[in-house]
Parts: sequence; C-alpha cells; structure tokens
Amino acid sequence: MPWRSLVVAVLLLPAAGVAAPAFRGGALEPPRPAPDFALADPDRREFRLSRQRGQVVVMAFGYTFCPDVCPTTLAEFAQVKARLGPAEKQVRFVFITVDPERDTPERLRVYTAAFDRTFLGLTGTPAQLEAVRRAYGVVARKQVVAGTAAAYLVDHSASIYVVDRAGRLRVVFPFGTPVEDMTHDLKLLTGT
Amino acid sequence: MTMLRAIVSARRLAAWSAVGFLLPAVAAAQSSPAITVTEAWARRAPAAHGAGPGSHAGATGAHLANGAVYATLSNGGAAADALVAAASDAARTVELHEVRHEGGVMAMRPVARMPLPAGGTLQMKPGGYHVMLLGLTRDLHPGERLEVVLTFEKSPPVTIQVPVR
Repeated sequence: MPWRSLVVAVLLLPAAGVAAPAFRGGALEPPRPAPDFALADPDRREFRLSRQRGQVVVMAFGYTFCPDVCPTTLAEFAQVKARLGPAEKQVRFVFITVDPERDTPERLRVYTAAFDRTFLGLTGTPAQLEAVRRAYGVVARKQVVAGTAAAYLVDHSASIYVVDRAGRLRVVFPFGTPVEDMTHDLKLLTGT
Repeated sequence: MTMLRAIVSARRLAAWSAVGFLLPAVAAAQSSPAITVTEAWARRAPAAHGAGPGSHAGATGAHLANGAVYATLSNGGAAADALVAAASDAARTVELHEVRHEGGVMAMRPVARMPLPAGGTLQMKPGGYHVMLLGLTRDLHPGERLEVVLTFEKSPPVTIQVPVR
C-alpha cells in the first residue's frame, strides 16, 4: 500500500469513529430496510410502518394477559419517553399483540394507556400478525399449561425493535436492556 | 446436637458468606420471624382492559386482566423454607409463577414452590419469579395498596401491604 494511502486512512480513522453511532443495544450493520407492515390501531385506523418516516418507531411484541414481561417493557418505554425530553415527539412506541384472540383493540388501548396514552397497541388478523413476526424473527407460541387457572399462555420473544427515521431497522434491545441504554440509542437516532 | 447439626448444615448452605454472619442469623430466628419481606410492589394494571358488559369476561376468567406482585423474601432461620402459596382479594386466583428465558423467548409457567434457603434470600423481579394475580377484581393504580398473604412450607404466613407502582 502506498504510504500516502496509509496516511489518509489513519487520518480518517478518528472521523470514521465519530460518524458511526456507538449504539448500546444490538446494532444492525449495515442497516437494512425494516420490513413493512400494516396493522390496525385501537381506533381501527391503519398503522403502516412505511408511513412513519421521519419518526423513530420502537416496537415490542406481547399480549395484555401478560402480567410480567409485557408491562415491564411498557413501563420502561414510559421511563425512556420521560428521559428523551423534547425528542420524545420524534419517537413512536408501539405494542404489537401476539394474542389477537383475546386482545381486542379496546383492550389494547386500555392496557397501553395505563403506561402512556401515546403508546399504540396494534392488532390484525392472525395471518397479518404472523407475517409481521416472521419478518422480524419474532416467536410466539400459544401454550395450554397445567397447574394454572389461565386458559392459555403465550410464550414470546421479548426483544424491542427500533426503526430509524429513514425506515431502516437499526437496533434491537434484548429484554432487560437498561432504560439509560435505550434512551441513549434513541437520542442518537433522533439526533439529540 | 440438633442445633449443632442445623448450624453445620446452614454453614454448608451459606458457605459463600462469612461464618460470623451465621450466629446472629440463628439467634434472630429464635426471637423474631424467620421470614422477612422487603421491597414488595405490584405492577399497575387496569382490571378489565376495556371488557365491558357483553364481553367475554365470564366465569373462566379467560378474558380478565392480570397483575404481578414482586418482593424480596429473606429467610433468617436456620432451616430451608419455601413460599408455597399466596392470596389476595385483588384477584380471583393467585398463583406463583416463574418466567423462563429460553433462547430469547420468554415462557411464563406456574411453580409449586419458590425455594428459600436458610440464611438466604429469594428475589422476585420482572423476568423471574412473581406472584401472579389472575383476574383482577379492581384496577391497580399507582399509589394504591393491596394486601397479600404469603404462605410458607414451614414458617407461619406473612401478610404484606403492597404498594402499586
């Protein structure tokens, strides 16, 4: 390699380090377009992901019957939103049901509103929801379990998916990611 | 002799801790309750999730809403114990549940008991153990409290007042 190129490469290194955002969640490199989908919000209006350009979309999958993992995620969303300050206006938090059988739009509304009125519960036909899960690699398994009064439970992935303002899937947060880390990455993506 | 054996076995169980820790723990077991509960809280939850008249919220409870109670239980006694049941008037049914992480998938399952080793603690927390409230009888609003009775294998029951967060 000619020495001139080497010098140029070395000079560029710090700049490249600054340009590539250092996400604390699992970064997807290179970012790829987030698979598009259209589901229904509690007012039965269509929520199409590709129409959300300009907003960062934070997505979790779960069901309202879930008392532990799902409300934890929604409570964390509320904390993240509070810490984002003015940048929260650029972030849309959505909760996609894995249990359309029990999660009516109205139930989704009441459940998400317990944490924040701007959180959007989304549902659709079982086929629509399955297509979204497949596109994002989300697992949901309905289980009839002995030893509980619950008619059934749904085992599901608890990761959080973040789509940037240009509609690219950028970061995945595993369950248990600290609120500070999620806030940090969302601030990077909103440029604040 | 029995006491000696108990201390020896407790020491083996708590091998990670300082030996000096055992003596006050054993003494405390004789004068105060072996099980102490700290950091109890319940997750906020709307009771019926919009299930109004004509909804499916029926006798099965399948369409009712649920809640979770968390707490840290400390066993100051010299014998191992276990939480085996819980009760509250805030729900139709109360169960003990555990969330297991299986390759990124969260699976909630009922458990018959939550072990409380001698001199040890049991921490219930999101993504782990919780007391499951099935079919809430009312909304759980932040700032409110609910009463929960914890039943143990050996120790007498403990009633706790749990704040909703």
